[in-house]
Amino acid sequence: MPGLIVDAHRLIGPVPFDDLPEDPRPEMDRLGVHRAYVTHTLSLYSDARAGNEALAVLDDPRLVPVPVLLPQPFEPVPDWDVPMVRLCPVRHRFELTGPTTLRWLAELGITAAIDFDETSPGQLLTLARELPGQRVLLLNPGYRRLRAIAELMAEIPNLWLEIGTVNTQRGVEWLAGHFGAQRLVFGTGAPVMDDCGPRFLLDHLDLPESDIALIASGGGLL
Amino acid sequence: MILDAHGHLGPWPDFLIPDGSADGMIGLMDRLGIDAMGISHLLAVGPAAEEGNRLAFAAAERYPGRFGVWQVYNPHQRNRLTEQGVWGVKLHPDVHQCALDDRRYDPVWELGLPVLAHGQTDSPWSDPERFVTVARRHPHVPLLLGHTGLWPYGFARAAELVRDHPNLYLEICGSKMTGRWIARLAGLAGADRVVYGSDACFLDLRMGFGRVALAPLDPADRALVQGGNLARILGGDLS
Repeated sequence: MPGLIVDAHRLIGPVPFDDLPEDPRPEMDRLGVHRAYVTHTLSLYSDARAGNEALAVLDDPRLVPVPVLLPQPFEPVPDWDVPMVRLCPVRHRFELTGPTTLRWLAELGITAAIDFDETSPGQLLTLARELPGQRVLLLNPGYRRLRAIAELMAEIPNLWLEIGTVNTQRGVEWLAGHFGAQRLVFGTGAPVMDDCGPRFLLDHLDLPESDIALIASGGGLL
Repeated sequence: MILDAHGHLGPWPDFLIPDGSADGMIGLMDRLGIDAMGISHLLAVGPAAEEGNRLAFAAAERYPGRFGVWQVYNPHQRNRLTEQGVWGVKLHPDVHQCALDDRRYDPVWELGLPVLAHGQTDSPWSDPERFVTVARRHPHVPLLLGHTGLWPYGFARAAELVRDHPNLYLEICGSKMTGRWIARLAGLAGADRVVYGSDACFLDLRMGFGRVALAPLDPADRALVQGGNLARILGGDLS
């Protein structure tokens, strides 16, 4: 079992469509997850600002805030002291590669987490061309688009992949073989997505222990 | 005994499966302590039922006792079915575009063997309601509702629908399933009605197995889900 296990993709707060635990910590304890990068559900399903404010008062070193960035041309860039922000260009209806988002990301200079369903390979390639130093964590890549993801991983050296939904047989090993374990990041998307399967997979990957430890603790990203 | 109700071998057209081999599957099963898996070959689910079934039987012959065969029945190809040396019949109403309660599947029910069918909430081919229709017509055929309807918004309804039909079971593989939902399904339908399946190699065996292994279930319920129920359904015929 890896020494430090960090879930790079976790939600905190209520969701409108299911009865799920709002606090991730009991399940993290049960599954042996030491730390989680969390986004507040209010930021996804209600008001980005309210969710970000709720995150700011968490005050628990086990929960690392990942506020949701909502770029707006008439507002100043936030001065958040966080390692990663999340962007939801489809949900919040803005352009990932528009001038405001590019300006905000360039000024912030921190990792951007983006759900694959919220963007496209073309947008990610454009983002990488416009901001070659921008580090991106691709959330929920799924298992059906490994071919497209492989092309992105090959073309964008600053792209990391969350593995919680890389769910086809030996998909994680395939990615590690082509791009290295340092490009892969353990994450789940729980509690909306499953945490039991990905947590179990982590202990049973056919990779060297050092690679598994790297993935478990955030790859070369976190 | 740990039994995986829902396995596949082979490639599938719309995405990359890095390892669809029988050897690779056995390697993972050994590592996880899975005694046997019911398989259909994806070629049989797709365009060639007869040839795909032949490949599944060949894999089962190569690894005696480790693979049980779900022989695919394609209602358009009306391929041969056998009663011997199989776990039962696999149906995929969505791929075959033939609703589960369509009379063209009658040769399957007449066989009387257990049936595993793809289930998908709101699908015109395989909505859980169609499983109820079949269960009423053929109360002596054990019928596994594949994926418990696939979409989380339909899980509770699927559990509700199977509850009054003792020959219906919830098979739990799928990329949207969670350990938490498995425990809920056991509560809603009874742990004796929930059957572990992984959908490997389509999905990763370790994800599917791990979801049950780490689900918040008590040990007795977990044992039922992981294999006790399927062993009962198969009646000891694990060939």
